[in-house]
Amino acid sequence: MSPFTFATVQYESGDWDSAPLVPSNIIDTIARYTTIELAPSGIIVPLGSPDLARYPFAYLTGHLPVRFSDAERANAKQWITRGGFLFVDDHNHDVDGQFHKTATEEIARTFGPLVRLPSSHPLYRAFFTFEDGPPTTSHELNGWGDNLVHRYLDAVIVDGKIGVLYSSKDYSSEWNYHPQNKKFFAVDNTKFAVNLVVHALTR
Amino acid sequence: MSAIAAPAAAMPAMDRVRRDSRSLVRAVIGSSVLWMLAALAVWLVVVGTADLAIGLSAPVRFVALPAGVAIAVMMGWRTWVRGRAARSPQQVALWIEERVPSLGFALVTLLDDSLTSHHLAARLETVVESREWSEPVRRAALRALAIPAGVLLGAVVLLLLLPHASVARVARPRPGDVLDGWTPLRHRGSILTPLVATITPPAYTGRRAETVEEPVSLVGIAGSEIAVEGRGDASLLHAQLGDSAQRASADGDRWRVRLRMPDKPMALRLGDGSTERLVTIEPYPDSVPVVNLRIPARDTVLRTAAGTFNLAADASDDIGLAETHFEYIITSGEMEAFTFRTGTLQHNAMHNERHAELAGTLALATLSLKPGDIIHLRAVASDGNTVTGPGRGASETRTIRIARQGEYDSVDVDALPSMLGDTAALSERMLIMLAEELQKRRPHLSRDTVVAESRSIAVDQARLRRRVSDIVFMRISGESSGEESEGDTTKAMTPEQVLAAAESAATRAGGNPLDFSADESPVIAVNRPLLEAYNAMWDAGRSLEIGEPADALPHMRAALAAIQRARLAERIYLRGRPPTQVVDLRDARLKGDRSGAAGSGRVSGPALGLAKSRMAARLAVATAIAGAAPLAAADSLLLLRLEALGSWPAFAGAASKAAADLRGGAAAAADLVRARSALLGEPRHVTGLGAWSEPP
Repeated sequence: MSPFTFATVQYESGDWDSAPLVPSNIIDTIARYTTIELAPSGIIVPLGSPDLARYPFAYLTGHLPVRFSDAERANAKQWITRGGFLFVDDHNHDVDGQFHKTATEEIARTFGPLVRLPSSHPLYRAFFTFEDGPPTTSHELNGWGDNLVHRYLDAVIVDGKIGVLYSSKDYSSEWNYHPQNKKFFAVDNTKFAVNLVVHALTR
Repeated sequence: MSAIAAPAAAMPAMDRVRRDSRSLVRAVIGSSVLWMLAALAVWLVVVGTADLAIGLSAPVRFVALPAGVAIAVMMGWRTWVRGRAARSPQQVALWIEERVPSLGFALVTLLDDSLTSHHLAARLETVVESREWSEPVRRAALRALAIPAGVLLGAVVLLLLLPHASVARVARPRPGDVLDGWTPLRHRGSILTPLVATITPPAYTGRRAETVEEPVSLVGIAGSEIAVEGRGDASLLHAQLGDSAQRASADGDRWRVRLRMPDKPMALRLGDGSTERLVTIEPYPDSVPVVNLRIPARDTVLRTAAGTFNLAADASDDIGLAETHFEYIITSGEMEAFTFRTGTLQHNAMHNERHAELAGTLALATLSLKPGDIIHLRAVASDGNTVTGPGRGASETRTIRIARQGEYDSVDVDALPSMLGDTAALSERMLIMLAEELQKRRPHLSRDTVVAESRSIAVDQARLRRRVSDIVFMRISGESSGEESEGDTTKAMTPEQVLAAAESAATRAGGNPLDFSADESPVIAVNRPLLEAYNAMWDAGRSLEIGEPADALPHMRAALAAIQRARLAERIYLRGRPPTQVVDLRDARLKGDRSGAAGSGRVSGPALGLAKSRMAARLAVATAIAGAAPLAAADSLLLLRLEALGSWPAFAGAASKAAADLRGGAAAAADLVRARSALLGEPRHVTGLGAWSEPP
């Protein structure tokens, strides 16, 4: 079995590379808490590339309007249908923002409707336990973006499992720092990433 | 009656025969018509009786009447063909001679065209006049009409004795009439057979309701209304869609279950206490419109926000379009400080057309654009779906960016790469044509003339080379030029320096694909074809300088080919990849505080292959019981179909066909084999077992 490789999705529209330090930070986090075999660096994979099928988990973020091309749409749909897990995070943390509006529209168009994920979902107990659902980010608490604390994540459910997980919480800003700086935090704010990856690999 | 004893008729023999011929023709026509009607009536009696006994399926009943008409026409035609000789007086005369032997062939001889003796004719006329044959003609005509009339009468009586519904089902078949009137004998004992389902699509689709008899799968657009009906006491019926019980209503001697097409495929279970029947309900969504933005055809960057863009798009929908428009989003700012403006253009209300052309214009001056702003433009169409929609389809997005003040150098590179290349390509093509022309005329020219014209081409070649150099060095260094040019001597480089720089850049990019890769600047990758062109132009220029256009032509063609390759590099993603961050896994491994971790570890879910294996095992069980319990096997196959619809559509299709066959009492082996092949692939052929080996 090949080691887990953290994949960042590159799509033609928008700024897919707006959170360049998130991959290394999550890789570091996975290593800190689990024994999952890991590739030491992430990979950037175009959404329209068949190579996407080599990765069970992929991360997509950005600030700008998201429009998938037909090739990206078809490839991503096939990947999700065959068991892929796409984590989409709104780097604007703004439900009135263009990323949120266009990305959710594009997700619904490509994969199906987004539904609210209850706090009882196994995702929140996949490794660490998050009784209240997704952990709050400092960006939400600081009142930036849409000035809301989002209590839930949304998901596209495929065959009873999460195919696409959508977050308005801006984990992309929350986790976009060098992993060495974790030592300055009293509580590691990237623990939820472990749940994301573990759940994606064990659905 | 004796024909000899009859009084002679005053009418001439020929007239008498013609009169009888007409009588017989009328009898034959009447007989043909009666036989047609009789055959049709008998056919209806036979088919109606069969429907009464075994309940014929709708497809059989729909072809029964046309088949009966065909048989009737054949019967009538056969009668006419057998009696068509009545049209010929000679044939009629022979027929009369056969029945009145006392004529002694006098009538036939009299009607013979070769008879020329008037004396003989008069004698024969005398003989014929003394004979009478109207009675045999009358009896023959009556017999020709009486027999088919009797058959027709008998068949009509039998039709009247049959239940009216059975006759109507055959004579005027319509989907669902299996529930009308008499219940076929073999269907008695269960209220689940016969079964009729009617699917009524939502009104906005404008589609007709569809009725299906003995349904196995009900496929309809999301939002359709479904009515399932049968004969019998509604209180005996138990209906369940998925986990939800459905109420059956009574309508005379029928029961009826009404339900709405669910969001996903589900099984409708019908039971009457002793038997159970399964029907799969399979919705399909109303597709969103498909929109294609044709103009502008690609993304672009503009120096200033001026001018007007023509817009063109087309949209199509599987049912009908309700509205189309263009939509734009203007993005201003960078990083976290983005602001957005949105707007729409050219709204068009549609009237359920399935295809539409969109056209419009976008005046940039009206949008108050600033340098750095990006217009995201797309075409949008909505359908008339009032149930689950409206479905909204959008085209690919085109971006139009207004360049910032400090990026004009890159504007020439990423926004319009083909424009400079195009110009160069045309010029190089013209130089090639001049060189070829010179080479063709060379045998007739003096050496001095050849050298002079060749050097003239070389001057143009050098000018073109400097323009390519400008493009190349803008990309490499961000500076305007790396080679000497007219009016600018401050940045002059020698040709050798330019060539060395170009070769150095090309060497760095050598061996890589045209599209840039992780360890290569995209600027270099895009430049490589132009660098090749640049080098080839140097070689061509040297040959032209010494008056050798033949030697220059291969280099010139190579330069043109390289420029063409550069032109084909359409979309350039200028943003570089973020640097690769490598994590020291050994240092980080299990250094975190795992407090708060859930107690039980998670294990991997079942692999897709395992799910397929389980499905194959269930298919094998269904196949095994298909002979002894075909209805149970059919239900198992339908449940398998429901589960396989999303993942293995080919298998789902074969399973449905096999279930329908089993339910209809037909052979399902071929479809079961097809289902198995769709799930597990075609059987592998092996030449034999290896010695001491496991079976393959």
